[in-house]
Amino acid sequence: MIALLGPEVTWYLGVAAFLFATGSLGVLLRRNPLIVLLSLEIMLNGGNLALIAFARNLGDGSGQIFALAVMAVAAAEVVVGLGLIVALNRKRVTLDVDRLNTLRG
Amino acid sequence: MLVASAGNVLVWAVWLVAGFACIGSGIAVVSFSSPFYSALALIGNLGSLAVLYLLLSAEFVAAAQVLVYAGAVMVMFLFVIAYIGPHSESPWMGGPSWQAVGAVLAAAAIFVEIVVVVGLKASGKLAHSEHVGAGFGSPAQIGRLFLTDHLLAFEITSIVLLVAAIGGVILGAHSRRDAPDEVASL
Amino acid sequence: MVWGAWICLLSPLVAACLITLGGRRLSRRAAGYVATTACFVAFGGAVASFVGLLGRDASQREVVSTAWTWITGGSYQSGLSILIDPLSVFMMLIVAGVGSLIVWYSVGYMDGDPEERRYFAYMALFVFSMLLLVQGGNLLLLLAGWGMVGLSSYLLIGFWHERPSAIAAAKKAFVMNAIGDASMALALFLLIQKANSLDFGILGGQYSSTVANLVALGLLGGAVAKSAQIPLHTWLPDAMEGPTPVSALIHAATMVTAGVYLIVRTHAIFEQAPKVADLAAGLGALTLLVAGLIALVQVDIKRVIAYSTMSQIGYMFLGAGIGSYPNAMFHLMTHAFFKALLFMAAGIVIHALVNEQDIRKMGGLRQLAPRTYWGFLIGSLALVGIFPFAGFFSKDSILAAAMDRGTYGYILWAAGLIGTFLTGLYTFRLLFIVFWGEPSAFVREHFHPLGRDTVAVALAVPVGVLAVLSIVGGWIQFSPWWHPVETWLQTVAEPVVSPESWQEWLSIGLSLLLGLSGIAVAWLFYGARRLAVPRLAFAQRTLEHKFYFDEAYDALFYAPAVFLANFFRRGVEQPLIADSGRDLGDDTRDLGGLVARAQTGLLRTYALAIASSVAVLAIVFVVLK
Repeated sequence: MIALLGPEVTWYLGVAAFLFATGSLGVLLRRNPLIVLLSLEIMLNGGNLALIAFARNLGDGSGQIFALAVMAVAAAEVVVGLGLIVALNRKRVTLDVDRLNTLRG
Repeated sequence: MLVASAGNVLVWAVWLVAGFACIGSGIAVVSFSSPFYSALALIGNLGSLAVLYLLLSAEFVAAAQVLVYAGAVMVMFLFVIAYIGPHSESPWMGGPSWQAVGAVLAAAAIFVEIVVVVGLKASGKLAHSEHVGAGFGSPAQIGRLFLTDHLLAFEITSIVLLVAAIGGVILGAHSRRDAPDEVASL
Repeated sequence: MVWGAWICLLSPLVAACLITLGGRRLSRRAAGYVATTACFVAFGGAVASFVGLLGRDASQREVVSTAWTWITGGSYQSGLSILIDPLSVFMMLIVAGVGSLIVWYSVGYMDGDPEERRYFAYMALFVFSMLLLVQGGNLLLLLAGWGMVGLSSYLLIGFWHERPSAIAAAKKAFVMNAIGDASMALALFLLIQKANSLDFGILGGQYSSTVANLVALGLLGGAVAKSAQIPLHTWLPDAMEGPTPVSALIHAATMVTAGVYLIVRTHAIFEQAPKVADLAAGLGALTLLVAGLIALVQVDIKRVIAYSTMSQIGYMFLGAGIGSYPNAMFHLMTHAFFKALLFMAAGIVIHALVNEQDIRKMGGLRQLAPRTYWGFLIGSLALVGIFPFAGFFSKDSILAAAMDRGTYGYILWAAGLIGTFLTGLYTFRLLFIVFWGEPSAFVREHFHPLGRDTVAVALAVPVGVLAVLSIVGGWIQFSPWWHPVETWLQTVAEPVVSPESWQEWLSIGLSLLLGLSGIAVAWLFYGARRLAVPRLAFAQRTLEHKFYFDEAYDALFYAPAVFLANFFRRGVEQPLIADSGRDLGDDTRDLGGLVARAQTGLLRTYALAIASSVAVLAIVFVVLK
């Protein structure tokens, strides 16, 4: 049986928290939808890191399965998101999330 | 003992490098004004994350990360960025300033909360990680888990990917009836 | 005999149902004949009951026939029962007899009206209701009949419902009757509480004077409303909006006399509450004077007769109030004869003059319609009480009985005598104006005599029969010498007063004298036109406005009610209920609008909201854990 070498899981969780916070900052502050998507990827990665860390902490492989599923979903979401951006670009719409505001009450 | 402590020091060193690379590239992704540079930063982020996964005995996931994420997803991103071109850039910040303040506050709050929670729990189970077998995180174990305990997740994930693929095709398809000069101000 | 009574009660009901269910399948004339036949069958049943009772010993003349137990509530029980005793048979004969004649008359009068079937259904319903009232074996059924005659009256007054005046009159009649019904119901409630039953026998029980007074007062209230005595009298003149046969049957011969019947039937409780009985007599006397005065200035032929009815019922109330029950009932009978006769003759006149009812346009009809004139003359003479016509025998004995009641009785007696003078005056004023003199221009232009067809027969024969009855009907009883009516009704309602012989003769003499002088004065003013009618402007105005009763009621009851209703509508209903509904919708919409402002459409705002919520929730979870 192998012990965990290096920092304890808490440190990994700290990094994951930082990634999540940074990614959310990017989603909230940037106006280019591409960069928003990229920031979203950062957030998802932060989550993934947390999952893997816990999987190692508890010795349960389910965390890694979950992380793989998240990865697949992230890929799917990027496909749709980029498709939207391409469609918008074809319609000569300015790629600015603040301008895309007609779905409102 | 010496080997163990040497291994420990090595791991710590690798961790520090990968960790800082991870954090740095994360900041870089949200900071660059050009999406191209941001995408490149993201690739760096993915790489450092893969190293961290290796440190956590998740070999398969690390490999998948590099192959799928860095290989496929990021390539797709770069394709689109190239297609759209540089003229679609926008200024860094915009919108009402209260939004910026609010955003910073919210993000900071989330970060602080997580750190606090983790710190509070640091004395419990988080203090000592389980000792795992050699096959932990191996493709064999992942495959066995996927096909026994988490079969449903496996299947649903495949459906999600199918739907995404169809969606992507539909969204990207050229509509013959579209008038190309239709200025749609959405 | 019991069968006869049940047939009498139910045959008009059957007719009403048949006519209603028959609808268009029945021709209009056939509907009339169905109703008429049913009423004659009812009369046959009444005669059978009468004969049956005659054959019995005097003390055994009370038969109660119960169909089934109708209402049971705790220890209270009411049966669906009819009572066959001298009083009820007396009323049955009058109602069914006069009713049949009037319904037959209506076949002629209403000929050609497009809604004739509805009319005859209502008439049959009315006859049934009136018979239920008089035959009811307990107070509950009497009340049921009471309410139903009120309903029939409403339906028939407002028969020509295209006329707003008719609708208003019907409503007025119904509302005023409802006041009476309510007071009667309260009296019945009290009786149920005290005696746990509503059979007629309980009225003889011993009650505390408060209870007796209250019950008698309640019953009197109902009687006053139904019989159009002061103060609930204003509906009767307006009720003349209905067709003339309706006025004849309901508002002369039968329904309005139900109040008198009620007092006589429940005389036991009135004897226990002498003050209320005196009140009844006093109201009767007041009404007979007031109505007589008002009748002096009326110009509508039917209204004169209506006020005359009110006045004569005042006599009956006077008689019943002082305790001279058989005389009151006898006067009820003779009054039914001559009043119906008067109305029907007036109806012929109205028909002949294309529905004109204003007497100022009439005149000289004596030559043009001689038989109608004779009928009217006979009726008028009977009304005034001239020997040997019917009213002579019945009215005077009431006056004589009043003399036996002490000082108060003498006051009533004096009022009655003045009333006789007034009766002579207004009755013959009407006769002279309508029938004497030269035919007026209107008459010359519009008069068309009756032909010889079935319509004319239907109109003429009942008038003839009633004319004969108005002559001979009173011969049944002449108080000083022979009184079979009194003997007949004695078992049910023993008179409380018995006047001396000299009192009888004095009343007869004075009444005759005053009646003739009234006729003479009328002849002076209106017949021979020797004297001009004096112009007393104030009196004229007051009388024309019927002593301002209508205006008073308007100010006292109607105006405040309208004011209250408007107040509640403006102050309560509009802002609280109507507006609140609308405001609720408006406010919800505004609130929605407020909430909708969160939908900025900006992606980043939504994301910020999510992020902040996550931050807050994380704190909450940490704290709670």
